[in-house]
Amino acid sequence: MSILLRNIIRFVLLLLLQVFVLNKILVHQLVSLELYMLFILLLPFNIPRPALMLLGLLMGLSLDMFMNTMGIHAFACVFMAYLRPFIINILSPQGGFETNMKTPSMISMGISQFLIYISILVFLHHLALFTLEVFGFGNIGYLLLKILLSTVASLMLIVLYELLFFSRK
Amino acid sequence: MGFGIFNFNKVRNLIIFLRRYFNFFLFLLLEVICIVLVFRNNNFQRTAYLNSANNLSGKLYDRYNNVQYYFHLKATNDSLVSENARLHNLLRSSFDSMVTNDIVKTDTIRLFNTDSARQAAGTATRRYLYRQAKVINNSINRSVNYITIHRGRLQGIRPNMGVIGPSGVVGMVRSVSDNYAVVLSLLAKGSGSSSSNFGVSARLLRGKEIGTVYWDGADPAYAMMKDIPRTIKLQKGDTVVTSGFSALFPENLPIGYIDSFSLADKSSTSYNIRVKLATNFYNLQYVYVIDNLLKDEQKQLEDSTYRLIK
Repeated sequence: MSILLRNIIRFVLLLLLQVFVLNKILVHQLVSLELYMLFILLLPFNIPRPALMLLGLLMGLSLDMFMNTMGIHAFACVFMAYLRPFIINILSPQGGFETNMKTPSMISMGISQFLIYISILVFLHHLALFTLEVFGFGNIGYLLLKILLSTVASLMLIVLYELLFFSRK
Repeated sequence: MGFGIFNFNKVRNLIIFLRRYFNFFLFLLLEVICIVLVFRNNNFQRTAYLNSANNLSGKLYDRYNNVQYYFHLKATNDSLVSENARLHNLLRSSFDSMVTNDIVKTDTIRLFNTDSARQAAGTATRRYLYRQAKVINNSINRSVNYITIHRGRLQGIRPNMGVIGPSGVVGMVRSVSDNYAVVLSLLAKGSGSSSSNFGVSARLLRGKEIGTVYWDGADPAYAMMKDIPRTIKLQKGDTVVTSGFSALFPENLPIGYIDSFSLADKSSTSYNIRVKLATNFYNLQYVYVIDNLLKDEQKQLEDSTYRLIK
């Protein structure tokens, strides 16, 4: 399957999963389940940065349309997309990641590297998202707890997704 | 000549600068667009383009609701039957009047069935019109929650109409499209500067004191009530109803029941009251949208009075 087709399918799949499954599950007021940003995290290594950010905007706005939170998810998603190349640069070994491995995954990056990569970016995404949603630092304990717990929940979901849709390619 | 070269260098430097930091500028531009969208959405009532009332997402939610509706049929039925029972208890025929010295009155309602006929006969005019609507999407776990309903502009829904459920207040209409509308739920936590803070003007059924009910973002089953002075005797379980001051809701619709109350400290003059909400937001299937037919008249009169004072 070509990379393009694979990513289009992933875009639709993650959007539907987020809107019709994860948003319907109520765990706790402090834990909101977010998985849609995995689309940005799993885009190929060599994608140009402007394209990365525009795709972040597209993904965020599509979700905002369903959730009536105009602009909030788009903001967080673009923020994460902008920072993604920096994080990959820091984590990549001397010669860059193997060129035949085109997309970030547990195989191409190594399990520990991949986990660090997703946890940093998911944390940054949640930081932007919930700060904008709560708007203001009036209740900073609530905000921090929500960011941390939601990050943990998202990481578990991402690992689960990776294990489910794992391909050795 | 020298001036021209200098100018050319300047432009070239600018281009190099822009190209080097192109990604950063694009990033800033996109983020500014997002921020503008956030604040526009918060500050204005508008018709819907990019929210769940539009054609694509409205239809998808509708499809989804068609399936999951079956799993809630039992609970929905129960709530509708209990509402019917409550309304039956309000009927004139449910009361036994012991007073026999009244003069005979003609029941004009029976004679003049339509609104226009009743208006002509000088009897009471209709003030509130209820329209039922199906809930097709509902969230409770965000800090500002929205409900999407399957009724829109073509069926007479307008922004700023009140919305109630079978057992109590639900929210107000925020934006409408042709066949769908988005309702701002009572579960909307006010945040700093944005105007999304949604408080309902409320009253204690027993003491008649006026206060405001708002959601604090903690638990979808409970809300807070403020502005009730400490001199009032409160009891757990007291009913909180709408005050009828705002044009959104008629009076005496249930909002909730007092769960607990306390004073913030010894010097505070008003209670902190925790209210158990009457509406169960977890399984909301049908709501009623309230059209206040006299709202424009009231608004016009108030506005002209304000202008007089000014």
